[in-house]
Amino acid sequence: MVRQKGEFQIRWKTDLPYRWAIGKLAVKYFEELKKRKIMGSKCPKCGKMYMPPRGVCADCFVEMTVDDMVELSRKGTLMGFTVVNYPFVDPNTGAMRPFPYGYVICQLDGADTYLMHFCDEIDHTKFKIGQRVEAVFCDELPKDHESYRPELKGDIYDIPFIRLLKDEEV
Amino acid sequence: MKVAIVGVAQTKYESNKIDQTYMELTFEVVKKLHNQLGITNDDVGSVITGSNDFTDGRTIANMAVQDGVGSVRKSESRVSGDGAFAYVYAAMRVLSQEYDTVLVVSHSKCSEGDQCLINNSIFDPFYQRHLGLDQISSAGLMANMYMSKYGITEEQAAKVVVKNRKNAFNNPYAHIQKEITVDDVLKSPMLAYPLKELDLPPYSDGAVAMLLANEETAKKLTDTPVWLRGYANCTDAYYLGNRNMTDLIALELAAKEAYKMAGISDPIKDIDVAEVSENFSAHELMIYEALGFCGKGEGGKFIDSGETQMGGKIPVNPSGGVLSSNVAMANGLIRVAEVAEQLTGKAGKRQIPDAKTGLAYGMNGICSQGNCVLIFGGD
Amino acid sequence: MPKHDVAIVGIGQTKFRSKRRDVNIPEMIYEAVKAALDDANLEIKDIDALLIGNMDHFEGINFSELWTGIDACGFYLKPVVKIATGGTTGSSLGISGYYNIASGIYDKVLVVGWEKLNEGGATTGIITAFDPVWERPSLAGALGPLALMANIYASKYGIERSMEASADVVVKNRSNAANNEFAHLQMPNITTDFVMSSQMISYPLRLHDCCPQSEGACAVIYANENEAKKITDNPAWFKGVSTAHYYTFGCDDIMYNLPTATIASKKIYKKVGIKDPIKDLDVAEIYEPTSWAELAWTEALGFCDFGKGHTLLDEGISKMGGEMPVNPSGGVLSTNPIGATALVRFAEAAIQIMGRGGKRQVPDAEVAMGMGFGGSLWTELCILGKDPKPVR
Repeated sequence: MVRQKGEFQIRWKTDLPYRWAIGKLAVKYFEELKKRKIMGSKCPKCGKMYMPPRGVCADCFVEMTVDDMVELSRKGTLMGFTVVNYPFVDPNTGAMRPFPYGYVICQLDGADTYLMHFCDEIDHTKFKIGQRVEAVFCDELPKDHESYRPELKGDIYDIPFIRLLKDEEV
Repeated sequence: MKVAIVGVAQTKYESNKIDQTYMELTFEVVKKLHNQLGITNDDVGSVITGSNDFTDGRTIANMAVQDGVGSVRKSESRVSGDGAFAYVYAAMRVLSQEYDTVLVVSHSKCSEGDQCLINNSIFDPFYQRHLGLDQISSAGLMANMYMSKYGITEEQAAKVVVKNRKNAFNNPYAHIQKEITVDDVLKSPMLAYPLKELDLPPYSDGAVAMLLANEETAKKLTDTPVWLRGYANCTDAYYLGNRNMTDLIALELAAKEAYKMAGISDPIKDIDVAEVSENFSAHELMIYEALGFCGKGEGGKFIDSGETQMGGKIPVNPSGGVLSSNVAMANGLIRVAEVAEQLTGKAGKRQIPDAKTGLAYGMNGICSQGNCVLIFGGD
Repeated sequence: MPKHDVAIVGIGQTKFRSKRRDVNIPEMIYEAVKAALDDANLEIKDIDALLIGNMDHFEGINFSELWTGIDACGFYLKPVVKIATGGTTGSSLGISGYYNIASGIYDKVLVVGWEKLNEGGATTGIITAFDPVWERPSLAGALGPLALMANIYASKYGIERSMEASADVVVKNRSNAANNEFAHLQMPNITTDFVMSSQMISYPLRLHDCCPQSEGACAVIYANENEAKKITDNPAWFKGVSTAHYYTFGCDDIMYNLPTATIASKKIYKKVGIKDPIKDLDVAEIYEPTSWAELAWTEALGFCDFGKGHTLLDEGISKMGGEMPVNPSGGVLSTNPIGATALVRFAEAAIQIMGRGGKRQVPDAEVAMGMGFGGSLWTELCILGKDPKPVR
């Protein structure tokens, strides 16, 4: 209990753990990710390609299974971007999330939906909507890079961020 | 203007449904309902869901199920709390004459979070939360006060568990399907005196869905509509210390009001089956008293009489109740679904013959704080 | 047509501030409840049921309605229901109030939205609304995605022009707020330069492009046609309500043009008989979480063509004294107590119809729109008027 300027406050800090089921399609996604493959799920009725993959096509209200999963390109198009430059507590860790960081929404080639992810660029003048981007795998990074890992583990940080492609790389 | 339940669907209740996300879990039960009724998502006018952010570990818990309940581009709203209250909001949408059909869905996965911490968060952060109260310790307080005031024995409380577990054996959706004896209950580890492990419910995952319709649409969709006849909602005091812990007075008031609306004068005679949210063994005895099935303090004698068993005058929880399948937040809507199954004669091995009028009781919070009583009738 | 006509007959708001350390949660809510009851000259015993909401994780209180419903609103031994849908919590409450009365279940209900954002972590709480596997690791609360969309919006229509027009929105709304005693950020002398030179929060959004985090509560009393007449000569009647929800994942669509606002507004315009919103509506209270959003949302609501949001400002249409003022209260850019925010939109629309707006009153307002926005980019709307009938 702390007293400030004649007012009382009670501090409460708690660790509220959960263990969420990620679903069969996500399990398959992460298995394939270890093999460097990015999988979406394709609606068997309307053909819409969902990334991230999931068990339901909301437009047709039909089920998608692991058999409906199709590999997507690791390259795509930048749809939107920002550079997050404000402090907040990250509920994933309970600590402040480091900032600034690049944050993008992009469409991987072959997908009809979009992916929101980190980007390693933090200078907003370097982004151009419509430009080409690529998903970066952690084991391809220089060994001294903070996101480097020697092998793919089958989790979200196997692709730590999206990279802006330079004109000459396209 | 009337509102009917035209179809219900339930998942199997079990712990650790690890192969399904919330979206997939709700999709399973909604698709099952569509197939059963021969409708598509286009036939659903609007959607009401019932869930709780702390239980799901997600702020705006209904966001996680939009795709699964088919509400993309539609009107959906979410009652935060027990599914019985979600049913009421959905019924209002039909009664307002703005929608012909409304889908109600309630889900949760109790086994994915820490229920004691989640329930501890219900207590106010100034006076009670730091004491570590949760659903088990507060139930122990209530059970102890009730049982010592009225001389209810632990054996009598245990009989509730034995009855409900026996009933669950007849319910293919029930989570715990294992018959037990009074002795098993009494010998199980003590968790919060006088409540032992088997006096308390399991933690279950699952979802339940139902379609409500107005009279005209109901006739097209089913031969056996289940009509809402009575409803009341009544909230008890928040602080346990401000509460009458030995009598569920808010539930009693809700029951009286719902009976009045449904024209029920003698509940034992007029009600054929009751599905109630009993959160611990002795709680069901307290519920008997509040619902007027027996006099004050006579819950123990009433379970002894056997009248609430299958074949008794007023079977309570033919489904096995919460003590067999505890899908917190969906529990109230499961009660409604089970009453609907009874009144349409589709309850299989747990069917009460010729059930015409049924009662469903859903609850919010700790020790019956928020109470929703619903009375249903067949044609 | 609904079974019963529904009217708003009483309104109470707290003064919205960034911190209300002088009161605890129930005490803060009670201020709004008491004000609403006084406004309608009613007592708690006169009200049948309570609908109350906030977001659980923002203050860290589970089943908050069971505490606030009793200790702040006095609904001991009466019906209490919690509705919570994120940013739309207030409008979901407002729409639920409509159905509670329209269905004939209750005659009078109290609807309360509240939030005490400085007692928890709103950005942290908002992150937990999103998928733990796919979205949470990189998500930065609501502002991150709103900044992404700002860039898409701005890139379609020209970044400099868009951000300048967005700053004009802030100037309009925060100077309107100076006429509203309840508003949190009242800035009568704010300029476009001030907004455009404030700190960059998430490119292209600067500090003053964003809504504040506010503490406060809003309480609204609803009644059916029989009861409303006994309470006031001048209630605000519901002509219609409308909701459109969207996909579970925030990234399933590039939603800078808010498709749900188009879906929901088309539905309600048809129901209420509105052909030209600018002509048929006299005032709108919309939910603009950031500056550019008012431009995009007004386009999606059909107030102007896509890409022409700035014309409403340039031509003075959405300013006070214009053909259809938008956010005379100062809007969300001035005041954002999340669970109450969208209910404040409904309440402010009703205040305009009831002619109780004081310095922020739009003269002769007869038809008003209130909007809620939230969740995975959902829209909820109400249209209120001097009578419950369609406009044509």
